[in-house]
Amino acid sequence: MPRIPAIPATIDDMPESVRPALRRLARRLALGVFLDAWPAWAAASLLAAGSLVLICRLFVAGAAPYLKWSWLAPLVLAVPAIVIAVVRGYRPADVVAVADWLNGGNGMLLGVMETRDPAWSESEMVRGASAFPMPTLRPWRRLRIVPAAALFLFAALWLPQRAPRPQHTALADEIASGLTAAVAELKQQALITPADEKALEEEIERIRRGADRRVDASSWEAADALKEKLAADVAEKQNALKWAQESLARLQAAAQAGSAGDPKLAAASAELARALEKLAQDGMLAGAPDNLRQLMKGGRLPADPKALGELAAAVSKYLSETRGRVGNVAVLGKEAGRFDPAEFPLDHSEMTQDGDGDPGRGGVNRGRADADLTWGKETAMFDKFKAQPLPPGAARSADDWTPVVEMPGAPQANPEISSAAAARQYAATAGQTAWRRTLAPRHQSAVKKYFAK
Amino acid sequence: MREETGETPGLPTPDAVAAGQAQIARLVGELRRVILGKEQTIDEVVASLLARGHVLLEGLPGLGKTELVKALSRLLSLDFRRIQFTPDLLPTDITGSHILQEREGRKEFVFHPGPVFTNILLADEINRASPKTQAALLEAMQERRVTAFGETRVLPDPFFVLATQNPIELEGTYPLPEAQLDRFMFKVDIAGVDRAVLEEILVTRVHGEPPPLGPVVSAAALRDLFALVDAVHLPRSVAAYIARLVAASHPSSGEAPDAVRSFVKYGSSPRAAISIGAAARAMALMRGRPSVGFDDVRQVARPAMAHRLVLDYTARLEGWDGRRLVDALLAAVPEIERGLPQTLAAR
Repeated sequence: MPRIPAIPATIDDMPESVRPALRRLARRLALGVFLDAWPAWAAASLLAAGSLVLICRLFVAGAAPYLKWSWLAPLVLAVPAIVIAVVRGYRPADVVAVADWLNGGNGMLLGVMETRDPAWSESEMVRGASAFPMPTLRPWRRLRIVPAAALFLFAALWLPQRAPRPQHTALADEIASGLTAAVAELKQQALITPADEKALEEEIERIRRGADRRVDASSWEAADALKEKLAADVAEKQNALKWAQESLARLQAAAQAGSAGDPKLAAASAELARALEKLAQDGMLAGAPDNLRQLMKGGRLPADPKALGELAAAVSKYLSETRGRVGNVAVLGKEAGRFDPAEFPLDHSEMTQDGDGDPGRGGVNRGRADADLTWGKETAMFDKFKAQPLPPGAARSADDWTPVVEMPGAPQANPEISSAAAARQYAATAGQTAWRRTLAPRHQSAVKKYFAK
Repeated sequence: MREETGETPGLPTPDAVAAGQAQIARLVGELRRVILGKEQTIDEVVASLLARGHVLLEGLPGLGKTELVKALSRLLSLDFRRIQFTPDLLPTDITGSHILQEREGRKEFVFHPGPVFTNILLADEINRASPKTQAALLEAMQERRVTAFGETRVLPDPFFVLATQNPIELEGTYPLPEAQLDRFMFKVDIAGVDRAVLEEILVTRVHGEPPPLGPVVSAAALRDLFALVDAVHLPRSVAAYIARLVAASHPSSGEAPDAVRSFVKYGSSPRAAISIGAAARAMALMRGRPSVGFDDVRQVARPAMAHRLVLDYTARLEGWDGRRLVDALLAAVPEIERGLPQTLAAR
């Protein structure tokens, strides 16, 4: 086996004249190895820290006090970089080879290192070999990526902490609570069927979930639409009650005036039957007396005037009670923004030129002359009310439409009806729509907030 | 072999190195007196000689190839023979042949040694002989012995072949095959001389005659020089550089530069690495050093490797030759396997 020449384990085995230069070269090589590895790691750590800071700035407000410590990431990674530099460091033989190469490659240092020949150790050639030009350090070759990464981290830290997203749950509950109260009122007054109650509760829950995700005009619009629907149902019930009472009155009058075979009596009886059927459809006969239920089951009215009178009295009593209950919930219609002429009396006899006497709330003279101009009941400027632009009045294109509310069931449309025919068909209700819609739905939230204070 | 003795290989003593360098310097100085303006050529020929390698000199006629060899033989006081290779030259004209002679009434074949039995053999215009005759030199160059009629005869020690060929008048010539080219340690290109050298030749030479030369290195001293060259230390880092250099000459090598991949068909043989190591030892001694350095390897790599590269036909079309490819190799293969870190720069 060919014998491999022994290579010294340390630079101490080299001649004393070259040791200082070799040690200096070894240190510089070690620094070079470290600088080859660490800047890339440092830049990566700074970029990672910057990304983490960005995430925390956006989503983790609680981490804000600790983000400044992210500057330590490059220093932390310097430890494994040092370990790598030690592991990958130049061995003494490598250092001597580099020194010999830097010295022009004459092989003197290598020969002395491998043979340890004392005859040459202190020779002039070996001493001259210690004067090799030391390699210059060019750290910016690798470090230039670090400032850019540090700038990224600095920019990430400089960004303001994003405030936590407001929780809409309370507002959504507030929107839904009004609807829930209305449904509860209807249920308490026994003016709603279980099926309708279930459908309404599902609809309220859907509005609440939508408002929980995002509260805007559409949320209030949906709630208002549902309230309007409830109010319309109540109004329909009121009409049905009124019809039943009127038909009952006509039946009583016909029974007192005519005989059993009187056509007027039969017509009044049939009208009452239809009115009661309408009440049954609206779910208003749940608490009706037994004779009224038997009447609905049999479908025929008693021919005896006395019995008919007793029945009419019972029905009249029940209808009066029911009307009272409906009247209790009629306030729903007002809450839904329905126009009530009673709130706006046309009688101006009580109005004076001085208004109601309250300072700032009176007529054109703005209150009494001796009153203090306190303006205390007005909204504080720039405090409780903050001006905000309203959404544009018209959509710019068909694509800008967004669903305002999802109503149960699909809209019914008859394409065969022309626009002129449709105008005639809905001419009767068009005015009703006009007085209901005194304000654009998308403006209602702003107006509601303004007047809520 | 030093490695087989198990002893720690030491460097030759400073005195021995100095003495050897002085002898070589005298030899080189005398050669430079004969051959003007060819310092590098002389260095390469002497290095090859000290490394006991054969040299192929290639150059145009009249550039001093033959004169260089003749001067070398005179300076070394060695036996010198010259063979002018021609197409009708036979192998036996080189190696010698058995001739039927009558001795004491009996006829017997007597071997008459050919001109190969000498110390320095000048094979002039070697490419003009037939391949069969060229092949006769193969055994002599590599084994340093000759076999004729089943009898093997050892050639004198030292034995050098210094062959010449010119790159023109190629009609009727037989280019040396790669196997024979590989036997030459160096192929030295003899370039032309510049105007100043020509002027010096005209002033100092009458009828072009070289100055008279006397032996400057005896046979014994030459043998000591051979031993001294062998004693020059070849560090492992330098040996690794030689190995990487030769390995990178193969187009299939991962370290091969693009030029080698494109224009080299077959890279240098291991004999190239051996030749570089031996010649680098001689070059180090010529520079008065006991150990081979990277610059010694760079100095001898071109003449040792260029003729050993088998080039692709596209190399000639693109203007690449062996020397240029070795230059590309030297530029591509770093001396130290592990270079400086990227953040350090050599001044």
